[in-house]
Amino acid sequence: MTVDNQSMGTTPDNVESRQVVVVNDHGLHARPAGKLAQTAQSFEAEIQLVHDGQEVDAKSILDVLTLAAGPGEVIEIRASGDDAVDALDGLVTLFKNKFDE
Amino acid sequence: MADKILTGISVATGIAIGKAFFVNRNHRAHLPRQTVSSDLMSNEINLLRDAFTSVQEELAATRELVPEELKDYGLLIDTHILMLKDPKLGGAAEEYIKTLGLNAAWALEKAVADQAAAFGAIDDPYIRERMQDVRVVSDKVLGKIIGQEADINAMEGRAIIMAHDLSPADTVELEVDKIMGFATVCGGKTSHTGIMARSLAIPALVGVDKLEDYVRDGDLVVIDGLAGKIVINPTETELEEYNERAAFFEDYTRKIKRRCHLPAETFDGSRVQVLANIELVEEVAAVLDNGGEGVGLYRTEYAYLNRTELPTEEELTEKYIDLASIMSPRKVIFRTLDLGADKFISSYGELNETNPALGLRAIRFCLKNPQLFKTQLRAILRASAYGNVSLMFPMISGVKEVRQAKAWLAQAKAELRREGVEYDANMPVGIMIELPAAVMIAEYLAHEVDFFSIGTNDLIQYSIGVDRTNHHVSYLYQPLHPATLRTIKLVVDAAHQAGIEVSLCGEVASDPFCVPILLGMGIDSLSLTPQAIPGIKRIIRQTNMHDCRILLKDVLECRTVSRINNLVMDNIFKHFPDEVTFFTSLLENDEAPS
Repeated sequence: MTVDNQSMGTTPDNVESRQVVVVNDHGLHARPAGKLAQTAQSFEAEIQLVHDGQEVDAKSILDVLTLAAGPGEVIEIRASGDDAVDALDGLVTLFKNKFDE
Repeated sequence: MADKILTGISVATGIAIGKAFFVNRNHRAHLPRQTVSSDLMSNEINLLRDAFTSVQEELAATRELVPEELKDYGLLIDTHILMLKDPKLGGAAEEYIKTLGLNAAWALEKAVADQAAAFGAIDDPYIRERMQDVRVVSDKVLGKIIGQEADINAMEGRAIIMAHDLSPADTVELEVDKIMGFATVCGGKTSHTGIMARSLAIPALVGVDKLEDYVRDGDLVVIDGLAGKIVINPTETELEEYNERAAFFEDYTRKIKRRCHLPAETFDGSRVQVLANIELVEEVAAVLDNGGEGVGLYRTEYAYLNRTELPTEEELTEKYIDLASIMSPRKVIFRTLDLGADKFISSYGELNETNPALGLRAIRFCLKNPQLFKTQLRAILRASAYGNVSLMFPMISGVKEVRQAKAWLAQAKAELRREGVEYDANMPVGIMIELPAAVMIAEYLAHEVDFFSIGTNDLIQYSIGVDRTNHHVSYLYQPLHPATLRTIKLVVDAAHQAGIEVSLCGEVASDPFCVPILLGMGIDSLSLTPQAIPGIKRIIRQTNMHDCRILLKDVLECRTVSRINNLVMDNIFKHFPDEVTFFTSLLENDEAPS
């Protein structure tokens, strides 16, 4: 899995955001979704995933799963809060490292 | 008479008597639905939270016990724990208590239904199926809420575990010293239930139709893994008989096990190799313990099941090297992947085969998916540098398939050579003879390979045209059908004509009634479940090859199965009068069910 299209932008209310592309075979299936939620939970920041017009809580494995992001699809990660930038770094690294699979 | 006697496929032998205990109960069927007044809401919320917490704690404790070889299962538990912590489940249920005044069970049911709707809308079948996990965890919580949870560890004394199906998930939680046996509705010979039972040395039956209809929690049951029967609520007399039989069998097992390391040699000096069928590397302990002279069939499927991604070459290599080096210098025959495409839905798309037994499976599947095939071939080759490794291809139907498979093997070898990775350049290559087509051209196939291994389970199924798990026709599954015997003999003769060895690795190899006939044919080796090795070695050691040849000759002249059965029975009665009462055999299939 690679992360392309990595762009950083600042939207109103100090929300940091980046975009990543899902490129693993099964999309965000159980294990990556679990890792994503678990990692998100380790930050104070509020973190949302936006995909296909849907916005969900990155800390909820059920939300991440039902986002059903398939391979090749773009996800925007939004975070707000003190450690928002760290959170984004952490999550983007997960995508980069193929969720350690 | 007992209330009922059910039959199933025995995947682990022995006799156990105990109380039936069902796991995987379905709570949803009788869920209490009530609304509560606002002053009682906090009670319901506490009930709900406590239930979530205690399931979470139990799972965390289970997580600790998960052995390394079930790593995937460990990750599954992690997913379940995350789901339990997810506010979209517990939090949403709490909201339903507060806003709608539902009781805890109903509120949770509603939160689960919301998730089901969300998951149901997903196109990706793989992710959609994860709703199953949501149901598994919420069922556990529901069980706590309504206080009917089937707490496996609450069972008392001697329990026989009953289930629709048992997954590694269910069995990890079991307190094994209380379990006397298993019985499930689903599952085949290679199911997890069988592996688990064999490693615990307790009897198990799978494929028991109607188990759930006839057996209730707490019923006294006898699992007869020798005869493939479950006796429900036996009479005093029956119970006494089974107690005696169990004690007798235990004695006998102990007695023969002491002598299991002696070579399998007949009175008149003919030597047969007795090898083991295994599925997990961990089973080598049982192989060596029971006097196995090697592994005649290593079923490599397990590493591909119960997971979402294919195993990597490194992962396979590591496992294969372990096996090869522990068994060295004894031989290990690796059978390449023998799975149907239906097991790989997530990676390879659904095929919707109307008849998977005749579909894209085993070597056919591998040749269609060379990447997957070559990964396994490379791993086996790499392990061959560490021991006495052979390889065989399953479900071969013709010469071209063998050549294609060998071409991939040659390519894998060339790659390893280029990369400077060591392997055994002379690794023997064989094929499984499982299809009538392969039997008819055995003489041609024999020129392509170093050995044959006859897989009688499939061979009987394909030649008689009968699915042994289909109880309408399973009576026709007859190892001693004249056609079966002629078939096996054709293969043995063709192999020997070409100067190659032939082994037999179906269940017939562990059937004391059939073994003398196989010996008479001149089979070079038998491969069987490790626990059956001491008994079969004993049969071989107490037999004369000369008598076996005469028996074979007589048997081949019989026109009906029942005539053959009589001859075989007489033979066993004559030579093994003590054991005959609990020898079980496939012979009982002689008559159509009444």
